[in-house]
Amino acid sequence: MSSQKKLVVAHAPYWHDGSKISTKNYNIMIAALPAVLMGISQYGAPALAVISFSMACAMIWEFIWSLILKKSAPIGDGSAAVTGLLLGMLMPATAPWWLVALGTLIAIIVGKQIFGGIGFNPLNPPLLALATLVISFQGIFDFNESLRNYDLGFVMTYPLADLKAFGPAAIQKFSLGDLFMGRQAGAIGSTFGLGLIVGGLYLMLRGYMRWEISLSFLAGVFVTALLFNLSDPTKYASPAFHLLTGYTLIAAFFILPEDSSSPANFIPMLIFGACAGLMTVLVRNIGAYVDGVPFSILLINLANPLMDKIRPKAIGKVVENA
Amino acid sequence: MTSKGEQGFAFALAAVFLVVGVVCYAAFPQGTPEEPVRIMFKSTAGKILFDHMMHTDDAGYGIACDDCHHEEQDESSSCSGEDCHGPETDPKRGDALHMNCKGCHEEGGAGPVECAACHIM
Repeated sequence: MSSQKKLVVAHAPYWHDGSKISTKNYNIMIAALPAVLMGISQYGAPALAVISFSMACAMIWEFIWSLILKKSAPIGDGSAAVTGLLLGMLMPATAPWWLVALGTLIAIIVGKQIFGGIGFNPLNPPLLALATLVISFQGIFDFNESLRNYDLGFVMTYPLADLKAFGPAAIQKFSLGDLFMGRQAGAIGSTFGLGLIVGGLYLMLRGYMRWEISLSFLAGVFVTALLFNLSDPTKYASPAFHLLTGYTLIAAFFILPEDSSSPANFIPMLIFGACAGLMTVLVRNIGAYVDGVPFSILLINLANPLMDKIRPKAIGKVVENA
Repeated sequence: MTSKGEQGFAFALAAVFLVVGVVCYAAFPQGTPEEPVRIMFKSTAGKILFDHMMHTDDAGYGIACDDCHHEEQDESSSCSGEDCHGPETDPKRGDALHMNCKGCHEEGGAGPVECAACHIM
């Protein structure tokens, strides 16, 4: 018998809904629109500048990379545009143009293309760029400092920074309704809870996103924050506050379920989301950073290949030495 | 593989967003307003976010300018300059701010007086 492999396949499951990658990516952009429009309506032209420039730069970097490697230009699949849009949504409206150009360069080249492009990235590209920028330019990502010239008619201090610095007593001024409706300071596209949830539901119902990861992440955040809160309510905020502030909701619906950096099997998806939620609250409550989302998800991205090894047994497989 | 139509659409999208982005950045530069909304003071003991508008606005505390700014300052003058609260001048900038902030808070019985209630490390 020839030992030559005739057909090499990877493990199941496979998921195909009949649409093209570009259709999926343009649908993600449509789903993100409510949150983006809210950000633009609040911060005006500067927010539009960040979002537009970020999308344009991401596509330009990907085009330049494909020219250098003499690949057929891949920006038609819309993946670079989505990366640029998501990174723009994670930035403050006051982000300077060079930061946007640098961030998209990191996301497209370091986050995606050096691994082989779409589908090969082990880490989430916009999140990798965000984490790099947060570490490198802390002043710009301190929303209290970067949004100091804005008065939008609601409490303009960054909720998670207030919690970190002054404890739960300082966050009583925020109502959950305001936080849910985007009446809070933060990144352009990550504050409008209702819009992000509607966008996420749209993607789930259209089959572009798996609900398991999003819901297990939110459950992970909720349960961990609840345990902290029950242990000492004077020191730790309520789970609802953690769900509605910072990058929680944009991460749940737009960042975490990204195809390449998340598991494909059911149980691993649940573990992946729950662990990311747990890590997020751990960083927020006992870590050094105000928001744990960038670092916790990157860490869990690294565990993704291991998690996908937890997979169903093939039917009819003989277990030797049983 | 992407079709020519998709490729063309992506190029058009990139061009539109580039123009919108560049125009918005150029036409609406980030500047400091004439009267600041909030000010982030930076010191070795951490950052302090000061709500300038809340202190000056009539709906807030309605404090007059010269209650804190002891002399008319133009754009070129600095609180920490040699004529004002520099390293060789008494009181120094930090002491002056502490006197103004804490003093007023204690006097009025409003606002924080504990270190960690203002300073964020």
